[in-house]
Amino acid sequence: MAQEALPFKLITPTGVLFDDAVREVIAVNPLGEFGVLPEHVNYVTAVVPCVVTVKLNDGTFRLFVVSGGLAEVKDGVLTILASSAETAEAVVEGEALSQEIVAAEQRLQGISFYEPAYHNALKAVQLARARELAVRLRAQVR
Amino acid sequence: MATLKAIRRRIASVQSTQQVTRAMKLVSAAKLRRAQEALLNDRPYAEGLSRLAGSLLAGQTMEPPPGAKKTALIAVISSDRGLCGGYNANLLRQAEEQAAQLRSQGLQVSFFAVGRKAADHFKRTGALVAGQQINNAPRLATVELANSIADMMLNEFRAGNYEQTAVIYSHFHSALSQRPTYERILPVESGKQTAAGVGGPSDYLIEPSRAELIPLIIQSYAQSAVYHALLEAEASEHAARMTAMDAASNNAADMISRLTLEMNRARQAGITRELMDIVGGAEALSA
Repeated sequence: MAQEALPFKLITPTGVLFDDAVREVIAVNPLGEFGVLPEHVNYVTAVVPCVVTVKLNDGTFRLFVVSGGLAEVKDGVLTILASSAETAEAVVEGEALSQEIVAAEQRLQGISFYEPAYHNALKAVQLARARELAVRLRAQVR
Repeated sequence: MATLKAIRRRIASVQSTQQVTRAMKLVSAAKLRRAQEALLNDRPYAEGLSRLAGSLLAGQTMEPPPGAKKTALIAVISSDRGLCGGYNANLLRQAEEQAAQLRSQGLQVSFFAVGRKAADHFKRTGALVAGQQINNAPRLATVELANSIADMMLNEFRAGNYEQTAVIYSHFHSALSQRPTYERILPVESGKQTAAGVGGPSDYLIEPSRAELIPLIIQSYAQSAVYHALLEAEASEHAARMTAMDAASNNAADMISRLTLEMNRARQAGITRELMDIVGGAEALSA
């Protein structure tokens, strides 16, 4: 019989944000979006700053914004180790958020691809965009 | 013998000192509880990461680039403020010992000072300081600070400016015992990975590729290690301050009781003297 649920943990250095059995988890790695269903093979990937969509057993969704990290499936258990994460509900929408995106993009413009700071600046842009996306998505899933 | 007035003034002064030390002890106790909680919260992340690093790196370490300078970078995590007993002194002694040991291996040693106490110390000794971080923030251990230190270490390490990087922090054993600890961050110590590692990397489907994932794992690992060091240091600092302030409050209480005794004796002596004067005066009149 197929396993019905996927145990999923979202762990950050400041604590465990989510720990429950779910139906599906969707996140983004450097190659694009990927989804994990129950009975996934053992799998390791990098997670870029993105919105992690969790489909719960009752069919509703939970959204998280993660600032990048690693995802691992081991023996059917999905663990996302994120350097930081917040729930979509915690993102404050408004002027500050759009300013954050503009500021992050400007910073990225000023940095050459070969500089060590480029990687972090790119991550900041991705994170700012992910937070904006979370605000839009949370209105839809509600 | 001190006058009654001087003793009274002295008691009042010790009492107000005791009030301050007692308040500081209570504040440190509350902060310690929070720091310990943060230390516990970090555990699942650190364990998950070290398990993953163990199975993916599988004994492979990141070696310094060829031609790297014979220099070691030590980040010393001290406190911004004093009144915490021997906390900073022990830590800095350990730092100097470790530096001497590295120098005897033919390495140059450069320090990165976290906290004002370490920065002041290295300024005094004239040691080579690569940078410093004085935050004066209510919380020492933040992910942002840890990431900035770890990223700085990684960048400098990759650029070949340092052959190895390490942190020195106070390891939090208990509220009564904290031990300065030296921990190498880069190159990642191979012993740790194999200890936690179960199974080879072949068990996993890896995206984008193992070669691309390893730098990220090493980065996360370094960040997590530095964050852990900051958490330990924060808990240790509050524990040390709590113990020191508890001792100071007790000493103040002892001093107050001693001074009270002295004051009573002085007052009694005064009364006796006055009585003698009266008796002497009366006798002189009747005589």
